[in-house]
Formats: sequence, C-alpha cells, structure tokens
Amino acid sequence: MLGLATRAGLSPRFPSPPEPGGEAAETITEEAAVTPPPGPSLRVDVLAEEGAAVAAGAPVARLRDAPEVVFTASMPAIVGNVRLGRGRRLTEIVLFRETAGDRFEQPEALRSAADPRPLMLAAGAWPLLRRRPFGGMPDPGEGPAAIVVMAADTRPFAPDPRQAIEGREEAFARGLHALSALTEGPVFVCTSPGKPLVEKGNGAVRQITGGPRHPQGLAGIRIHDLCPARIDAPVWDIHAEDVAAIGHLVETGMMPATRLVRLAGAALREGRLVRTQPGADLRGLSHGATRPGGHVLLSGSPLDGHPAHWLGARDRQVTVLPREEKPGPRHWFVEALTGTARAAPAIPTEALRQAFGGGMPGVALIRALSAGDDETAIRLGVLSLLEEDVALADYALGGAHLPELLRRVLSRIEAEMAP
Amino acid sequence: MIRGLWDRETVALILLAALLPMALAWLWLDAGDAAGRLLFALAVTGVWHLVFMFARAQPPSLSFALSALAVAILAPEGLGPVQMILGISFGTVMGELAFGGWGRNVVAPATVTLAFLGFGFPAAPWPDLVPPLAWAAIPAAAIGIVTGVMPGGVIAGAVLAGAVAVAAGIAPAPLVHAGAVVLVLLVADPVASAATTLGRWLNGLLYAGLLLIFAQGWTGAAPVQMAVAAALLASLAAPLFDEAAIAFWIARRRTRHGGP
Repeated sequence: MLGLATRAGLSPRFPSPPEPGGEAAETITEEAAVTPPPGPSLRVDVLAEEGAAVAAGAPVARLRDAPEVVFTASMPAIVGNVRLGRGRRLTEIVLFRETAGDRFEQPEALRSAADPRPLMLAAGAWPLLRRRPFGGMPDPGEGPAAIVVMAADTRPFAPDPRQAIEGREEAFARGLHALSALTEGPVFVCTSPGKPLVEKGNGAVRQITGGPRHPQGLAGIRIHDLCPARIDAPVWDIHAEDVAAIGHLVETGMMPATRLVRLAGAALREGRLVRTQPGADLRGLSHGATRPGGHVLLSGSPLDGHPAHWLGARDRQVTVLPREEKPGPRHWFVEALTGTARAAPAIPTEALRQAFGGGMPGVALIRALSAGDDETAIRLGVLSLLEEDVALADYALGGAHLPELLRRVLSRIEAEMAP
Repeated sequence: MIRGLWDRETVALILLAALLPMALAWLWLDAGDAAGRLLFALAVTGVWHLVFMFARAQPPSLSFALSALAVAILAPEGLGPVQMILGISFGTVMGELAFGGWGRNVVAPATVTLAFLGFGFPAAPWPDLVPPLAWAAIPAAAIGIVTGVMPGGVIAGAVLAGAVAVAAGIAPAPLVHAGAVVLVLLVADPVASAATTLGRWLNGLLYAGLLLIFAQGWTGAAPVQMAVAAALLASLAAPLFDEAAIAFWIARRRTRHGGP
C-alpha cells in the first residue's frame, strides 16, 4: 500500500484524570434525547405525542421526505419536550426514562441479513451510517461504492472499538455480512494492530490495519487512502460497535440498549468508561465526577467535539473542560499585532504533514481551501473529508478555521455540482 | 478552545532557536562589527514590518529576525548605510510584505535582499565564511529537522548532492562552507522551499546542482555569491517542483482508484 506509513500521525496529549480501572459500568441516564445526526437539517413527522409512553426501540419520528427513515427511542420512556425548528426540522425529542417500560421488537419477517435495508430503516439504525461526500445520513435508496467500518479510533480518549465489540464477535460478523448486502463494492474493516477481526476469505470484506497515531483511525483519512469518495460514487462509514449492533438487530429484532462511551477532560475528578444509551444526557453521565467550578460538556473528542446537552448520534466520547473566562478587552497595540481579518498563513512544518496522516499534500489542500479553489480541492481528495478529518491539523496550527473553510468549500461544491 | 502550538509565530521562534548556534558562532568569531550589522538589519526590517502593520493591518512576524540575521551574516562587506537600507527595504517589502507577510511569500526576503545587493553593488566584496560557522550550520539544521520546522528533504537532497560532489573532488572547501551556511539560512526556509516530500528533495538537489555548476563556470564570483544566486533560483523553482509532485501524486491515485 502506498500512502499511510504505520508510524505517521501525531499523539496530542490533553490533561485528564486517570480512570479507576475495571469493567465499564452500565449507566443509563434518567433523560435522553433523539437528536438528528450532524449534517443537513432534517424535516420530520413526529410519531409520538408529548406525554406518550414509548417502548425502547419504538419509532418516535420519521423523515418527511423519506418516511422509511425512522428515529427510535433508545430506552423505554415518556416523551417529554418535542422541539422542532422551522419547517418541522428536528432539533431534539427529549425522553424521560420509564423503568417499567418494555422493548419494541421488529417483526420476524423483516429480520433478513440478505436484505437488511428495511430492517435498519425501521429500527432507527440508519442514522448510524454516514456518507461522503458532504456528510450526513445517506438516502434510504442510495448504494455506496464501498463501506468503511471503523474498528479503530485514534482520537484522544476514544474508547477502543475492540473493547466495545469484545464478546460480540458473532454479532459483528453477522453485521458485516448484512452490510456487504448493502453495497456492490468492498467492505473495509479498519483496525488497530492486534488480532484479526475478519476471517480470511470472507468475500468482499477486507481488513486494513493502521497505525496507532491520530489521524490514522479516522474514517475520512482511511477513505481518502482506500476508496476516495466521488459525487457519483459515495462511500459510507460506520463504527464497528454499530456494526455489532446491526448484527444484534438482525438476530433479535432489537438494537442493543447501550454503547461504550468514555468521559475525559481536565474538569473531571476521575475519568469514566461507561455503557450508556445513545442520546444520553451528558450532565447525567458526568454527575458526581466533575471538579467544582464551571465546565463545558462536549459531545466528541477534545479535537472535534462540540458543546452539547445530549450525546451525539454517532459520538462515543464526552469531553468535560473547565469553562474559560471571557478575555477582557486587549490593548490596541496587542490587537494590532495579533488580530487580522485573514487568518495567519499555515507554515509547512512536519507537524502539519503528520496532522494529515503523512499521506496527502496537506499544505496544498489548506491553500486550496483558503483560496476557495474547489477544483484543486476536489483533485486533492476533499470529497472524502469532513470536518473531523481536518480537526487535528486545525488544532496543530493553533486554530486556522480549517473545519469552517472545508464546510464552505463542500457546500459550494454540493450546490454547484451535485445532482 | 484548546489550541496546538504550531502557528506562524511559534514556527518563527523555533526557527530562531535553531539558528542560534550559527548566530552565536558568528558573533563570537567576527572580529568586526557583527553585532552592529545585526542590530542595523533588525532595525530596518522591523521598521518595515511596523509600517505594514499600521498601513495595511498586516500583523508583523518574528520572522523579521530570521531575515535580518541572514542578511547580517551574508551581505557584501563595505556597503554604506544608505545602500544597506535600500537593499533591505527592497528585499523585505518586495520579497515578503507586499505578498501579505511571512507564509504567503514566494522567495525568502533575505534572498531577495542579498541578490539585490549583489546585483546593485557588484564592487562590494562578499564575506569569507570561516569554517566554524559552517560547522555551526550542522546543529542548526539538526534542531530544525528534529523539531520539524526546516524541510528535511531539502537539506537531505542538498547534502546528498554535496557529498557526491566532495567525493568526486569538484567542490572546494570554501564552496562547501558557503553552501552549508546559505542552505540553512536561506534555502531551508519552510515557506520559500517546496512543501511536498518529492518537491523538497528536488529543491535541495537543484540548489546543490546549481551551486556546482556555478563553481565550474562562473569565474570571479565569491562562494557566497554563487550560493545566494543558487538559493534564489532554487526557491523560484520550488512552486514548480510542488506542482509536479502533486501532479504525480494525483496521477498515481488515479491509476490506483480510477475516476476523473
């Protein structure tokens, strides 16, 4: 393989207290929410009234434009606040936990690994998929050119996907089988070094082993290297734990109730590794573990997380940071020395090269992004990338607004070129 | 919220730290007014950075100290203050600030200054670089490469070509000394050299190659003069090398993945 050398990448260190070892405790928060996956906003029809009781796995909303795509409750609950934006765009549907509630099982007739699409759509597993180019959930009828399963995650403090699917190898294999029915192309399983997760001779499923440093365990860097996404050839990615969940779904008709999530960050007294429900309340998860004083809860890693109330649709990390005081007004001379309308240019250093995994011309990409040169950006493979893939370079450069520049270029390409 | 440290000013500071061995060796060894030349160059370069800050809201960069140091070490001797001010102003403004500051320039401002002084005042003698200064270039390059602020490929390419030339007996010692000092001060600037791995190797090879060609055919030129001319041409060719390296990379990807 050309491109990624196994040692390439960076290991940025962030302060975080140690974890008290042992098994991941199951922590189900009292509140949870159904939130849309990142990407374009989604117009929905709400299927459960405020105050209604819903079983775990029961549908609570469906897309207006594609009614097959359903959002489901992650726990037995009473539907609390339903918050929709303008045009019935989904913001959040808050759920209050109901201990006595039961679980909603998908009908036997749907449970087919040979054609898992209707089952995944009906069981709310579709938002676990993400497509490139442009990001967001794939259309229900879309066929990808390849699917990349991320069984490695090199983001700082990310829980190890191998640990997440430990003991569930059978469900993982069943999920892979189901995924390979969704595409004509290959299914890549990207892992960290260790024992193989895919049996040899498993048809279109191929295991790719990457190095231990960030960003080698990011889907975008892998897709850029293995099977670049194009407008006419989208590529999907999904987390390995979600593949095991799909395997579980095909077998039992129900999604697993929990996922492995790590809490880390400088504002914690102790780190936590928990199994919690999707869409969990971040305050509930960090309750009793934070240091005194104000703090900010991020759903996601310190590099690409964003302040949130609920665990994001695909996130497996919570970062708790001390709240920073707003800086006071600075002297005009300091302002003149540092403040500008245009960001300071990126200097090509080794740190920048490694921040892109060492395999792509990062400096040329940054120049194309800042200049708004869409054609060059496409030639350099920007269609395989999303915000999280440039987050490390943005961090390394001390804040060069790369995620915003990337989104601007992607939106323009989508408006001008996508059908 | 949390920020890494490889922004422009940190890179400039680390480059300054990398050049400290050379700067100290030069100040220590120079019998003349080395410190005076350095302060003069710092003042003139710094004033232009301030002018662009006030006139164009362009933030100044600590890189002005890098170019001032290179100019002070390598500038022709015996030039009056007016001539020096002219040369430094031309190099700083036309080589860097007019492009938008350090990071957006094509050629290092010190290279432009030195080329301007060389062409404008050909009668002024170029300095003779003493061997210890060339030895000090080795730790400077090592710090630069280890911290990743100097392009390793450029230095490796130039050292490779230089080693071959020395083994073949076509590179006299003064030429090697001047070549090494100019390599670290001017050619290994991360902005003015190529930014891709392949481009960097080609960049370094071209610099050393040009230097050897000048040594064979340019009669009457001082080693520093040849090295500065080679550095100027090599940085002018750097964008071309980058373009070629990226075209090669894209072609290789296309054969691997297909598609437009």
